[in-house]
Amino acid sequence: MSPTTWAWICLALPLAGCLFNAFFGRMLPGDRTAGWLGTAAVALSFVAAVGAFIALLGHAPDDRTFTSTAWDYADSVGVNAKLTILIDPLSIFMMLVVSGVSALIHLYSVTYVWKDRGFVRFFSYLNFFVFSMLLLVMAGNFVPLIIGWAFVGAASYMLISFWFRRTTATRAGIKAFVINVIGDVGLVLGTYFIVFRGSGSLDFLDTFKHVQATFPPNDGDLVAGCILLLVGAFAKSAQVPLHTWLPDAMEGPTPVSALIHAATMVTAGVYLIARMHPLFHDAPAAADVGAVVGCATLVIAATIALSQTDLKRVIAYSTMSQIGYMIMAVSVSAYAAGMFHLYTHAFFKALLFMAAGSIIGAMGGEQSLDRMGGFRRALPFTFACFVVGGLALSAFPIFSGYFSKDDILALVGGEGGWHWILYVLGYVGAFLTALYTFRMIFRAFFGPECKEARELRETGHLAHPEHPFNPDTHEEEDTDVGFPGPGHYIAERAWPMKVAMTVLAAGAVLAGLIQVPFVDDLVNTYLRPDFVTDPAYEQVIQGPSDFLEIFGLILSALIAVGGIGLAYVIWVQRPELASAFRERFRPLYELSFHKWWFDELYDAVFVRPGATIGRWAATVFERVVIDGLVNGTVSVVRAGSSVVRAAQDGFLRVYAALLLLGLALVALWFLLQST
Amino acid sequence: MPLSFLLWAPLFFALLGALLGRRAAPRVALFGSAVALGMAIYYIADFQSGRPGLQHVTDVVWIAVLGIHYKLGVDGLNLFLLTLTALLWCVATLYATFREWERPQLFYFFMGLAESAVLGAFLAQDLALFVAFFDLMLVPFYFLIGSWGGRKRVQATTKLVIYTLVGSLLMLAAAIATGVESVGNNGQISFAFSDLVRVGLPTGTQEWIFLLFAAAFLVKMPAFPLHGWLPDGYRAMPIPVVAVFSAVLSKVAAYGFLRIVLPLFPQATVHFQELLLLIALASILYGSIMAFTATDLRLIVGFSSIAQLGFITLGIFALNPQGTQGALLQMVNHGLVTAALFFIIAVLAARSGGSEDVRDMGGIAFRAPVLAALFLIVALATLAMPGSSNFMGEFYILLGVFKSKLVIACVAFTGVVLASVYMLRAYIGAVHNRVGPKVQSREISLRDGAVVAPLVLVIVALAVYPQLLLSRQQATAQAAVAQTALLTGQIQPPRATAQTAPVPIPGGGPQGTQGGQTP
Amino acid sequence: MTVVALSGPFINWSALSPVVALVGGAVLVLLAGLLRGRAGRTFAVPFLTVAALGAFIGLTIWQFNDRTSIISGALRVDDLALVVNLILGTAGLATVLLSARQSAVQQAGHGEYHALLLSSIAGMAILAEAQNLITLFLGIELLSISLYILCATEMRRESSLESGLKYLIIGSVGSATLLYGLALVYGATSSTDFTGIARALQGSIVNDPLLLTGIGLIIVGLAFKNSVAPFHQWTPDVYQGAPTPITAFMATATKAAAFAIFLRMFDVAFIQAQEDWGPALAVLATVTIVVGNVGALVQTSLKRLLAWSSVAQAGYLLAGVVVATRLGIQATVFYLAVYLAMNLAAFAVVLARERETEFGDDIEGFAGLGAARPVLAWPMTLAMLSLAGLPATAGFIGKFYLIDASVDGGYTWLGVVIVIGSMISLGYYLRVLAVMWMRPAPSPAIAGGSAEADGDALTPARASAPASGDGASEPRPRYGGVEVAAVAVIFGAATLFFGIIPSPLLDLADHAGRALIGLL
Repeated sequence: MSPTTWAWICLALPLAGCLFNAFFGRMLPGDRTAGWLGTAAVALSFVAAVGAFIALLGHAPDDRTFTSTAWDYADSVGVNAKLTILIDPLSIFMMLVVSGVSALIHLYSVTYVWKDRGFVRFFSYLNFFVFSMLLLVMAGNFVPLIIGWAFVGAASYMLISFWFRRTTATRAGIKAFVINVIGDVGLVLGTYFIVFRGSGSLDFLDTFKHVQATFPPNDGDLVAGCILLLVGAFAKSAQVPLHTWLPDAMEGPTPVSALIHAATMVTAGVYLIARMHPLFHDAPAAADVGAVVGCATLVIAATIALSQTDLKRVIAYSTMSQIGYMIMAVSVSAYAAGMFHLYTHAFFKALLFMAAGSIIGAMGGEQSLDRMGGFRRALPFTFACFVVGGLALSAFPIFSGYFSKDDILALVGGEGGWHWILYVLGYVGAFLTALYTFRMIFRAFFGPECKEARELRETGHLAHPEHPFNPDTHEEEDTDVGFPGPGHYIAERAWPMKVAMTVLAAGAVLAGLIQVPFVDDLVNTYLRPDFVTDPAYEQVIQGPSDFLEIFGLILSALIAVGGIGLAYVIWVQRPELASAFRERFRPLYELSFHKWWFDELYDAVFVRPGATIGRWAATVFERVVIDGLVNGTVSVVRAGSSVVRAAQDGFLRVYAALLLLGLALVALWFLLQST
Repeated sequence: MPLSFLLWAPLFFALLGALLGRRAAPRVALFGSAVALGMAIYYIADFQSGRPGLQHVTDVVWIAVLGIHYKLGVDGLNLFLLTLTALLWCVATLYATFREWERPQLFYFFMGLAESAVLGAFLAQDLALFVAFFDLMLVPFYFLIGSWGGRKRVQATTKLVIYTLVGSLLMLAAAIATGVESVGNNGQISFAFSDLVRVGLPTGTQEWIFLLFAAAFLVKMPAFPLHGWLPDGYRAMPIPVVAVFSAVLSKVAAYGFLRIVLPLFPQATVHFQELLLLIALASILYGSIMAFTATDLRLIVGFSSIAQLGFITLGIFALNPQGTQGALLQMVNHGLVTAALFFIIAVLAARSGGSEDVRDMGGIAFRAPVLAALFLIVALATLAMPGSSNFMGEFYILLGVFKSKLVIACVAFTGVVLASVYMLRAYIGAVHNRVGPKVQSREISLRDGAVVAPLVLVIVALAVYPQLLLSRQQATAQAAVAQTALLTGQIQPPRATAQTAPVPIPGGGPQGTQGGQTP
Repeated sequence: MTVVALSGPFINWSALSPVVALVGGAVLVLLAGLLRGRAGRTFAVPFLTVAALGAFIGLTIWQFNDRTSIISGALRVDDLALVVNLILGTAGLATVLLSARQSAVQQAGHGEYHALLLSSIAGMAILAEAQNLITLFLGIELLSISLYILCATEMRRESSLESGLKYLIIGSVGSATLLYGLALVYGATSSTDFTGIARALQGSIVNDPLLLTGIGLIIVGLAFKNSVAPFHQWTPDVYQGAPTPITAFMATATKAAAFAIFLRMFDVAFIQAQEDWGPALAVLATVTIVVGNVGALVQTSLKRLLAWSSVAQAGYLLAGVVVATRLGIQATVFYLAVYLAMNLAAFAVVLARERETEFGDDIEGFAGLGAARPVLAWPMTLAMLSLAGLPATAGFIGKFYLIDASVDGGYTWLGVVIVIGSMISLGYYLRVLAVMWMRPAPSPAIAGGSAEADGDALTPARASAPASGDGASEPRPRYGGVEVAAVAVIFGAATLFFGIIPSPLLDLADHAGRALIGLL
């Protein structure tokens, strides 16, 4: 079968699963059938992706681009919106990552949300998300891209506020949705600039073909368009300044955080830039913006992650920071490196979230690091997974993150010029990463055992809070629809979770080996057909000297070890140091702890003024002006009528007076006429 | 099949039902609206795309001495609006039949009369006939609101009818002036559009006539700041009435711009383009702001309609095929979602102790997943999420504006963001969060489902295949703006790059008058 | 001895026959009034009146389409006159029907009442046919004097007498002004014949102050009869005071005749001076439209409300005269016919409610009419919608025609004024509808019913309120009279019918228009 056929199958399966569960999920026998169905759908879709991959490899490297159109979606008056998919190495690469990780996370969820009253709904949402993500990835036309882009946003909204009776969850949901809509707007407006000021066709390949012809390099419209595309990318990939929704998104169930807010959706921005590389190549200015923002994000997020106490939020900030690396990479035309890191990151970040889910299960829903401790022996498997993920994240040698992150930084350094700043900051970020990652690990798994951990280890009894509660606000809840179910699970006791995590752990260790400097270069060679047209790309690849490569490898190894060591000193050896540092660098701590005050800023700049204007419009303007418009006219007419009725008092003398007046006026008029 | 059948079927059956008595009235009226719907669908099936001209024309002289023709016709402009009207009336009547109405014969008679009047306004191909139907529409609604409405219904209906009739009567004068001023050299007066287009009015005349028409249409939409009648009116109307009123009557106004103003007064249109665009922009922003301040669900929907109509106006006065296509598409979409929203509001209110205030609701989804799902689909469509037909509508509209007036387009995009804020706020407030104190969370009943589900189905269908509308409208859409686009120099092959933003030629200019003469 | 042979003018009796029928009828009716026995009076008299009116209409139709000046040019029998005659005849018949069981008739005596009615119609007919200043005045006086008396026929009711007296005084002032004007015109043109005057105006005397003052005074004089502001003040008082059938008659017939003569004089005799009197009339029309509509706004007495509305309508009609074009004439004549239908329907319903409720002609009497008496409510509704000029009623086409005429005649702003007038008028016409359809009938439970709608539409309480309330509010529910209801229904139906199929009326108007233009 041709790659496109496989791709259509890959796209259709999750949708089918979603619809089937939505309509018939509740009628299925057995309490987890819907979950198994959902998992099967995604797993098969992964198989289809593999099929597409194989089919693609069957073709010569220089004709590995296939398109197929389902139907004309909206093709009229110069807008050729067709449901076209574009299948080439890049999209298949993403298809594999997305469907693969999704399949594992579905498997994990089958246990994780077992006792949740929204079990069926959860899986139909999850399938819908996979469908949307695959649509986004395969899109060969701006409109399906935008549709997928928005659909993943909607899926993320629905899953963030999956526990919809939690006010915190719904608030987080609307926040995420609105920021994503801002991203969509950027994407649409960018499309306008690029397509309707230039190429004239919404089709990717046409656009790429015409972009050189229609735009002079760094043309204003093109740069504007690309920057607007970046706005879309930033909103989706939680880059500064559109990142504030991601931490709140942790309100969603942990598998959701693992799937959408770590492995797949948030990396869409990276994919977008890679996909649009011909445009960015002609708009270097825009590309530089991307690089700078990515770098800024990776540092800012890392600093914030240092001081957060909510386990999931720490991982969320680390996600932001890792995506910062990727954005930086693809913005300096190191596309393969960016995609490589995206792929390794998917493994270890999903793994970290799953492990976190397992701990939270053991804590009975509690997420605060302050209450955790000493799970090392209570949760050996989870501990192992978490450490593996942590090492990969902090780029410990031979773990996957090591090679991918190093690849990025080497290429950035290779650019030379002001990119050296990015290069240095990148390593600073790497150090911080190691630090906060192992802060998590040491605080959760080492130190004095918390009572849940001890209970679990001694009696083997899994802690269940007597009253279910909201980990944020600690307000009481029930376990019915719209709240988390009563079940809490740890990987040690649920084979689906165990399997999923094992696979990911293996990935986290080994995934990096497909592209090791001086050894092999699989990702590059595989993706080259996509970027071969882009001279900048070739130059970037050849860019870094061997010295830089080796220097980088050593440096990042040292940094990782150093970071881990420091973390060990602070949080294991001499716990009092942490508070000492906090007191010593109070301003820095505040900055980090309050997340650089972004939320407060937006609240003051947008939310409050908006509300004020609204209130003013409703209370003042509507009453005074709008109603005044009506009442004013009415009162004028009323006044006239009272005048007329005053003259109409029924007495002849008044009539006579008016009569004579009228007579006089008429006579006067005619006399004037006569002269 | 002559269009007169479609036009008069609802009234005929409603009258029949009224005569047959209070038991028969609902069923016969429902049958009548169903017949109309069937015929409307037949016309879609029978429609030949790619032909800009009218199809199924009926043309007889009604009042010879005044040159008024009874001329009906279908083309890309009104084809789907007819279907929308028929569909919504069918659904609204269905909804009504599930409830008890005092003096049912009268109620269904007025519903039928209203449908015929609206269909007439859409079908009329004669200016005077259009005006007649346009004014006639209000009469049945006056009684429907006044006799079967909610609180303050008499004041509300009086305010609404007078406010909107003020506009309509101004339009009457303007219409007559148009007819008289453009008496051809044969000295024979005629109000048929086809004859009026042939004679271009002098720019000066066009401009004051344009203003009167614009006033009438903007009041009817309504557009900021002429929406004074809306809040009371919407709150007073019974649900089936408000559904059809907000969904369809506003479209008659927008349709009027495309059918009458653009072709007949091209110079004036170009002259006042910025003004209208700014009004539209103000409507978008103001409507959105009010919508997220309001807590009464009806008002939220009402103000959101102001914003939506603002978008439609933007599309129309982009004065290029893209804008027009978008406006036409969006008219249908908005009609569908608004009606659906109002029916859902009724269902929600029934579960929150009769209150339509979002603060008294919440947590419905707890036991009513289907209801929540339907509401979610409609809400997402309303905020024009990509993948919904509404999105394609706004995509075309904003593209049109983008091509003609870049800055306005960029500002208008804020309306898109605000829409997501107020719609989600309403959705979450109504069905999510903790279950409200007076709320009992019941699933939507089969009867209400039978009312809402068809609308949602159509919404989804259009979301999957908006091309259905676009392909049939294309020819007419291009013809509708041909005159003005000529003046603004926006006629270009769509692929060509519009590097230079087109500048409109002020109406007074010599090119202007030439443009008027060109048929 | 020479024999001087006096030769009277040749009289074309066939052309004169309609008027003769009326006058003869009047005499017969007067005699029949002397009959012994109630039965004789109550049945013979109205029967004879109807017969006379029938003859009048029949002869008019017989005369149709031929155009002759009779009695050496004193009268002109042409289609304009004949169309107006038809309007008069219809109004007369309706009045007779409405007057049956009217206490006024008993009080004044059947014979006298009906005779006066006929003679006033005769006066109007003469006025409509007048081709000469003298006959014009003759007609005016004949119709006025009869009406003065008719207004006062409800002798036991003070307001009736008052209205009669008021009408007499102001009317005579009007007549005096008119007479003075006529004299001046004669002085200026040395001709009493319209064609003569027209011929004279073709000369250089168009700017002669004598002539123009005369025209001005004539305008004022006729303005009285048409209740054109600011000479309208008698209208509300008289309309309210007079017996309702007479009010209906005055509202419809008098207007028809007075506007006929307006057309004859200004669009024929004074046509040359159009740019002199045109603006003046236009201003008067504007004032009338505004004053009439504004005055009607907050009236609670329906007869008063209709009086004010008739003032406003006079303003609309004047627009047709101002433009002095054939289109204008046709518009005016058409609107007169429409006006007849909608007013008769309205007044009939008012009369019925006067008899049925204790509220008199107060708007309270109409509360909940829609539920209680649809037979009356529907004609009233149609009449109001038509007066407001909403589509599907004759009023819409009438207004359309008038605006069309004024725009066509270069008076676009006057057309806009008409439109603004009808905007204001919605304020009171819709109020009547609201009271009829959207309020429960007044019953002891809810005293008078509150204008505020309480609760939602589906509460059974309000569902039953009208029916029960109607019964409860009236100790002995009297029945308005089948003939009254019949008049209401017929003319209500007419407004609807001519709103959808106006061509018959339009043809009549067309004839009338051609008649006048033919003169020049």
